[in-house]
Amino acid sequence: MPDQVVAASSLCVKLAQNDVIDNLNFTIGRGEVFALLGGNGAGKSTTLKTFLGAVSPSSGTASVMGLSVDADINTIRSKVAYLPESVMLYGHLTGIENIEYFLSLAGIKQAQPEIEEALTKVSLQTDAWHKNLSHYSKGMRQKTAIALALLREAPVLLLDEPTSGLDPRAIDEFNQLITTLANSGSTIFMVTHDVYGACQVAHRIGLLDKGKIVGMFERKNNAHIDIEEVHAAFSQGKIK
Amino acid sequence: MNATKQIMLDEWRYWQRTKLATTVIFIGVVLTLASVVVNTIEVRQAADERKHFQQVSESRFLEQPDRHPHRMVHYGHYVFRAPSPLSMIEPGVDAYTGTSIFLEGHRQNSATFADQRQSSGLTRFSSLSPAFLMQVLVPLLMILVGYACITREKEAGTLNIMLTQGVKKREVLTGKFLALVGSGLLVLLPLALASIWASVTGESIIVTTGFVVGYFLYILIWGAIVLWVSTFSSRKNTSFASLICLWIALCILIPRISSSTAASIVPSPGKLEADFAVLEELRKLGDGHNASDPAFNQLKANLLAKHNVNDIADLPVNFRGVVAEYSEEKLTKVLNQFAEIRMQEEVSQAEIARHFGWLSPTVSIRTFSMMMAGTNLETHHRFLREAEALRYEFIQSLNHVHQHKLDYHTDINRYRDDVVARVDAGNWNILSSFSFEPQPGMARLHQSLLYSLQLLFWCIVTLLLIKRASRRMEQ
Ligand SMILES: Nc1ncnc2c1ncn2[C@@H]1O[C@H](COP(=O)(O)OP(=O)(O)OP(=O)(O)O)[C@@H](O)[C@H]1O
Ligand SMILES: [Mg+2]
Repeated sequence: MPDQVVAASSLCVKLAQNDVIDNLNFTIGRGEVFALLGGNGAGKSTTLKTFLGAVSPSSGTASVMGLSVDADINTIRSKVAYLPESVMLYGHLTGIENIEYFLSLAGIKQAQPEIEEALTKVSLQTDAWHKNLSHYSKGMRQKTAIALALLREAPVLLLDEPTSGLDPRAIDEFNQLITTLANSGSTIFMVTHDVYGACQVAHRIGLLDKGKIVGMFERKNNAHIDIEEVHAAFSQGKIK
Repeated sequence: MNATKQIMLDEWRYWQRTKLATTVIFIGVVLTLASVVVNTIEVRQAADERKHFQQVSESRFLEQPDRHPHRMVHYGHYVFRAPSPLSMIEPGVDAYTGTSIFLEGHRQNSATFADQRQSSGLTRFSSLSPAFLMQVLVPLLMILVGYACITREKEAGTLNIMLTQGVKKREVLTGKFLALVGSGLLVLLPLALASIWASVTGESIIVTTGFVVGYFLYILIWGAIVLWVSTFSSRKNTSFASLICLWIALCILIPRISSSTAASIVPSPGKLEADFAVLEELRKLGDGHNASDPAFNQLKANLLAKHNVNDIADLPVNFRGVVAEYSEEKLTKVLNQFAEIRMQEEVSQAEIARHFGWLSPTVSIRTFSMMMAGTNLETHHRFLREAEALRYEFIQSLNHVHQHKLDYHTDINRYRDDVVARVDAGNWNILSSFSFEPQPGMARLHQSLLYSLQLLFWCIVTLLLIKRASRRMEQ
């Protein structure tokens, strides 16, 4: 891979005295889609949060674009768009208002047409755009949050289970979107337990179990990663 | 800076959409506005009434026919002090002490016509003075509006989303703080307008500016307290409960404790007890109406010797008038002595109570507000002293008339039908006009210095608390 945009080196995280992340080592290059695959409680969300400074490493380093989360978290946050596991936006604002507000916090002023374009990309139905988010379904909120992450136009995207709650058509569209973004140079780090989705978009998949990477899969000859192989390893790891 | 502004604006938008906060702010503004208007009318009316009353009593005094001068000593008259322009906002001690005094011989009447005792109907609303609303109610409104400003975002998880947009904690806190302070300032607006009006109607600009700045600081302090609690609490409910407890402690309990502590440290005898003590002292002086009271023997002897005569009837002055003047002087000395002791006690108590401003910003602003408005205890005491000086001068001029204008022989036979023991009504023209001047602005500012320091102290303490809470603000 060319340059390391996201890197973990001997990264450990302790939460309430438990080793949640245990000696993680990986790097993600520019334009690469990296998926961390793992079961519930494997430490996927915690890993992502470490790169956002929401959780502090107990040892080792996590860095984004050469900046360490310990030292330059505010700069990192301005370069990273984060899609949280459960979408938390404001119920008292409409989808568009939510996006406008959070973009303004990031210092970005997007014109209405761009926002509408992003909402179309994530296929949020038009009649919902000006409704309060409190009236949205889970999937609609997810789409809004994805649109927000896209509009940040950040070089790095950290996505926590981005397709959860989406219907199959939306998942397909999302996967396409991710591929397009990666081709245009965005670095994408997603965590998921959706084996199929990961195999569709990821250049590499790391298998996470109890805070450790227990397997790595890579595209060979530009073909998608073999879903059977990953699935077998995933199930095995879980039984173990 | 931009993020801060956005966060502030969003908080306001949230209040608008959820209605509760806007309703609370609206009620606050209407209440202060109404209280400012009612109090202004009330103070004006009371002032006009008293002025009229004073004029009537003065002209009645002057219209009295030829009389025995001592009858006029008992007739007496009123003085009153014009309310300070800011007393429509901060009635201070005036509400309890009153602003008019009846001046008569042999007695020091305490000030009368306190608003609290007069109030009825519409005027009862005036006990909700704008100052009281600002000091006690506005903190409560700010709590209702802002208790969840941070905890809400924590519970919903939106705080994290904000932070992951690259917003700094400091910007989040500042934005919320400004939004909160803004709500307080809306409620302060009627009071600020009334203060401007006060400077138009003659109050010193230094005073009105200082007054408004004091309340501004108070709002900053409460904004900071609300934000602080909301920052360190993890749930909305705990934040609300903690803030209500703080409000009860700072706005209700500590002010009460301050006065009861002061009263127990500097015990003051009850009114009855004090009155008996005065009577006891006065009894030793002899009765000024009875010139043959043995208490005046020495006076008589000295006077006879001085004029080298053997009988008081031969004195060039009316001995009964001399006795009246002499005994008034002695009596006034005793009365003043007791009055000074009582005022000293009151001041010591007030000073102890004011130190509680280090424990509650409500006590600080209350003291500061009264000092600036000129409705503090010391000003009232000055009024009592000036009124007493006037009373003494007025009584002694009547006694002077008694001595020189009424013949002793006529005087002692005043009850006989064929004797007319009176002096000409022209002698009643002795009332000097009384005008109570407020202290200059700089002097009031100077007296309030300690209390503005208390307010600044609170600003710093609460800001430091926020700083500390933000460091361990969970993400
Ligand atoms: N704040 C916390 N304090 C203590 N333990 C925590 C905390 N957050 C997470 N954990 C523990 O860390 C482990 C990993 O949690 P994490 O949320 O990273 O899992 P995950 O892989 O994202 O799971 P899921 O697929 O359910 O989202 C879990 O065992 C969890 O109990
Ligand atoms: Mg998770």
